[in-house]
Amino acid sequence: MTLNLCVLTPNRIVWDSEVKEIILSTNSGQIGVLPNHAPIATAVDIGILRIRLNDQWVTMALMGGFARIGNNKITILVNDAEKSSDIDPEEAKQTLEIAEANLS
Amino acid sequence: MSCSNLTMLVSSKPSISDASNLSFRSVLNPFQLLSQNSPSCSPSRSSVTPVQCGLRELRTRIESVKNTQKITEAMKLVAAAKVRRAQEAVVNGRPFSETLVEVLYNINEQLQTEDIDVPLTKVRPVKKVALVVCTGDRGLCGGFNNNIIKKAEKRIAELKDLGLDYTIISVGKKGNSYFLRRPYIPVDRFLEGGTLPTAKEAQAIADDAFSLFISEEVDKVELLYTKFVSLVKSDPVIHTLLPLSPKGEICDINGNCVDAADDEFFRLTTKEGKLTVERDSVRTKTEDYSPILEFEQDPVQILDALLPLYLNSQVLRALQESLASELAARMSAMSSATDNAVELKKNLSIIYNRERQAKITGEILEIVAGANALQ
Repeated sequence: MTLNLCVLTPNRIVWDSEVKEIILSTNSGQIGVLPNHAPIATAVDIGILRIRLNDQWVTMALMGGFARIGNNKITILVNDAEKSSDIDPEEAKQTLEIAEANLS
Repeated sequence: MSCSNLTMLVSSKPSISDASNLSFRSVLNPFQLLSQNSPSCSPSRSSVTPVQCGLRELRTRIESVKNTQKITEAMKLVAAAKVRRAQEAVVNGRPFSETLVEVLYNINEQLQTEDIDVPLTKVRPVKKVALVVCTGDRGLCGGFNNNIIKKAEKRIAELKDLGLDYTIISVGKKGNSYFLRRPYIPVDRFLEGGTLPTAKEAQAIADDAFSLFISEEVDKVELLYTKFVSLVKSDPVIHTLLPLSPKGEICDINGNCVDAADDEFFRLTTKEGKLTVERDSVRTKTEDYSPILEFEQDPVQILDALLPLYLNSQVLRALQESLASELAARMSAMSSATDNAVELKKNLSIIYNRERQAKITGEILEIVAGANALQ
């Protein structure tokens, strides 16, 4: 029994395949979703989505949105999503420094 | 052969029907330099009657028209390729908006009985309106930018008549330069559009509109963009962006509402060998969802998360349609420019050949007359 996960942004479909488990960070904390989860609808906070496929975890950054969990079908609608494999650590570090400088 | 530098005043008319209408007025400064060899015909300087110019000038003119034709043809093909890309972007964004509409619909059904108060849907008495004007970045697209700016001016006049205050959020270089030259129109922000509108740019515009509406600086936000009707026709339209209707309907300023489930998208196809665009209307299936859908958070919080997403997708859709109409306008403008260039070249070639033949005939006559004189 696997979950079907769909991560959609206004530009493109970021993820559309079967997964074993996901950990989603919502406004009211992190929730883990296993197969046969009760149907819920939740708002998604800016945070990390962890996806488990066969004992290996893939992470993705989400920029906030909405998630609907149905009969083993999860649909996440976000403004933007980036897979961790697509993120360049050097560039991210520089962006972090610039953002911190802007804050202070 | 010495090439004299000639300054030439050329009047080119947009449509040339008769070759005899074509005339050049040439003003020659270093006429004295053409001493020993003057292969070109001797043009007379006359300010009253326009005179045919020399062979070499005609040749250069024909060359430059040929180059211009190549450029305009290339621009048309590039615009056609970009329309396809824009169309793909719209198609890629459809799963998102479809799912969003479905979810909105279901949540609204479930919340019918409850009394929800979401700030984005609050209808206030209107005192100030924000207009988001979507223009293009580059020119050479026919009447595209002018049409949308004229519509904006018309709307501003309407609002002034109603006694309402207004502010502008301008998107696109052409709109920006227009409003920069007119400091009497209050502009809130200038934003640049990219080559292909992404969610980030739509987010920036949506954030701006959001903050203006929430802070109660404006009571209504309207979106002005060009709707892509067909390759030769595009319509500037005004849609009310905020306040949103909780059902997710897209409303015109006249109050005509389109259900969000009705979606239109365009396709670039070929019909009888020519590129055309067809619009298809698709209605998303909104099936009854299981009523036991539980909300993890407060329904108000959920709608708070959903409606900005919806706002974002609306703005992105408008930007994509605007881009597609700009590309279509550029395609048709460049196509007619290419046709004009072809005709201009044909007329110039006719004149060139006539000149050449006249010169040859003149030389032959000289030789024959000279030979006769010798006898």
